[in-house]
Amino acid sequence: MLEIKNLKSRIGDSEILRGLSLSVKAGEVHAIMGPNGSGKSTLAQVIAGHEDYEVVDGTVTYNGHDLLELAPEERAREGIFLGFQYPVEIPGVNNAYLLKAAVNAKRKHQGLGEVDAFEFLKLAREKMATLGMDPKFLNRGVNEGFSGGEKKRNEILQMAMLEPRLAILDETDSGLDIDALKAVAAGVNALRSPDRAIILVTHYQRLLDYVEPDYVHVLSQGRIVRSGDKSLALELEEKGYEWVREAANA
Amino acid sequence: MKQASLSIDSLREVVKTLPDNGLTPSREAALAHLDEHGLPTLRDEDWKYTDLSPLVDISNRWLTAGGQQRPPKLPSATIEAVKTSIDAIWLVISNGTIDEQSIGAIKHKGIEVTRFSDAPSPFVMSRPLADLNAALLQDGLRIRVTGPVEKPVAILIVDRAGESVAVAQSCVEIEVASGVAAEFIEYHASEGDADHYANTVLSIAVGDNADVNHVRIQNRSTRHVQTGRTSIALGRDARLRMASYDLGGRLIRNDIDIDLSEPGADIAFDGLYLAGDGQHIDNHTRVDHRVGPATSSQEYRGILNGNCRCVWNGKAIVHKGADGTDASQANHNLLLSDKAEIDTKPELEIYADEVKCSHGTTVGQLDETALFYLRTRGLDKRHATQVLTHAFAADIVLRAPVAGVKDAITAIVEARLAELIEADAAADLLS
Repeated sequence: MLEIKNLKSRIGDSEILRGLSLSVKAGEVHAIMGPNGSGKSTLAQVIAGHEDYEVVDGTVTYNGHDLLELAPEERAREGIFLGFQYPVEIPGVNNAYLLKAAVNAKRKHQGLGEVDAFEFLKLAREKMATLGMDPKFLNRGVNEGFSGGEKKRNEILQMAMLEPRLAILDETDSGLDIDALKAVAAGVNALRSPDRAIILVTHYQRLLDYVEPDYVHVLSQGRIVRSGDKSLALELEEKGYEWVREAANA
Repeated sequence: MKQASLSIDSLREVVKTLPDNGLTPSREAALAHLDEHGLPTLRDEDWKYTDLSPLVDISNRWLTAGGQQRPPKLPSATIEAVKTSIDAIWLVISNGTIDEQSIGAIKHKGIEVTRFSDAPSPFVMSRPLADLNAALLQDGLRIRVTGPVEKPVAILIVDRAGESVAVAQSCVEIEVASGVAAEFIEYHASEGDADHYANTVLSIAVGDNADVNHVRIQNRSTRHVQTGRTSIALGRDARLRMASYDLGGRLIRNDIDIDLSEPGADIAFDGLYLAGDGQHIDNHTRVDHRVGPATSSQEYRGILNGNCRCVWNGKAIVHKGADGTDASQANHNLLLSDKAEIDTKPELEIYADEVKCSHGTTVGQLDETALFYLRTRGLDKRHATQVLTHAFAADIVLRAPVAGVKDAITAIVEARLAELIEADAAADLLS
């Protein structure tokens, strides 16, 4: 589904990704771990199409197409979803409006008509109930005055409504209490299916207790320095990131 | 800088052609005032950002051509469209001429509408451009609300500039009796290809303990020029909620003077201005807190795109002894183009001791992070821009104090924003 080869990317003068390669197939869950500043979030932003990150080398193909050619909105309509580490507060834009606009943008791209307003609200309320979100959040400004946990739940709600083929969750677990973490994990697990792929970007092993990854990769200085199964996450937790850094430099 | 000045001689000739009625003495007084003071220039502190040359030029061309008052051709499609969009009791001033039929149609108890010529008041409006208004005014409208009225009272000031240059004056006095609640709408529209200058004067006197909501919509052609002065006085424990929407006009200058001379007065006035290529919109407000306790608050927001300029100057003067004053001012601007310019200035002068005053202004671009966030949700750049600019305008739109007019305002604000962003998208394609 997603094929990244020798990706090099920089923001301004600083090179952040330095030859990263990763292959993700449909049905798989990948966890990307690494210390702060290793390039985890940059990878997520580059896949989503942030224009501040310049791709200087390498290729990213998505379902056989050159992903780097596409604008962020085109990537979204093709089924890529980025759950933000810091979801943006947009006062004055109604949460329900954004959800509907997002779903309709995708439907239009697929040659479908606009979603039925009644069905849409019903579905949104169902998804919110499973995430433990008060339906009142639909009528609030996007993330406006939401707590950290509410913002992350709201990201998962958007993901659930958009049903992406490739979901990248950037530190969705950070700053969550255990209830919120469980709700978020349940939302992610509900999305797991043979035709979807999920990339979890995380600093800690904690989320992986609830969402079991097929592969774990460790990022250091803009490259994947080690890959393995879920046991790698546990090993990492035990030995700390210094261990991989040393391994990378060796 | 040398500025063209108004041709007083031509003005005097044109004033002579106006019907001799009860307004003649105030016209003479206004003419004398204008002769002595002239029109404001860029050297005047309050006018330094707004060059009045376009309106001087239009006025001089019109005056030297004889200054003919264009006979109103009623009804026009614009008038009907506006009236249909808002359910209200309508009074119409078309090309400076009061529509007698619209006065005659008012049969509501609690409203009295008369003309200045019926019972003239002496010339008192000596403020800049109000003198020009008084000198050329054909007739003015006086509206008194003395009891409850089931609908808003709306004044439509509409101008049509057909084949040749034209100038129109309108003057409206509103008075709301003690303890009465009333709603007003002031709608400015214009059409036509010729140059046009409209000069309006409005006064609102809110009686003791009266409660007034007022919405002003300026949706003129972007070819036309308008200046307007609104003078507001609030009685004891009186309350006024006001919102102003400036969407059109080539050169727009609004002055609002608010006098708070009675304790317990409470006024909130907000504004939204949307400016595109070639537009200049200037809002000057002044609140005089003469006694306390009294409250005034204002928030103006602007969205600017293309080569345009806007000005906001909010002055609040808390006079000696006006303890218990609570005054706040805010002005926030969204600049969508690097060719757009805003001059924003809050001015607080405080001579009393026990006061609560605050002010804040911001000037910013669209939030790039929010734009990217929306795009990752599948909204294209234009849609995302539209959503964010709407959100910026939404607060002021929602604050329209007359409920029945919100839908109409939402529709025209949406339409104008779409035009502004469309222009931007076109520029993107060319660059």
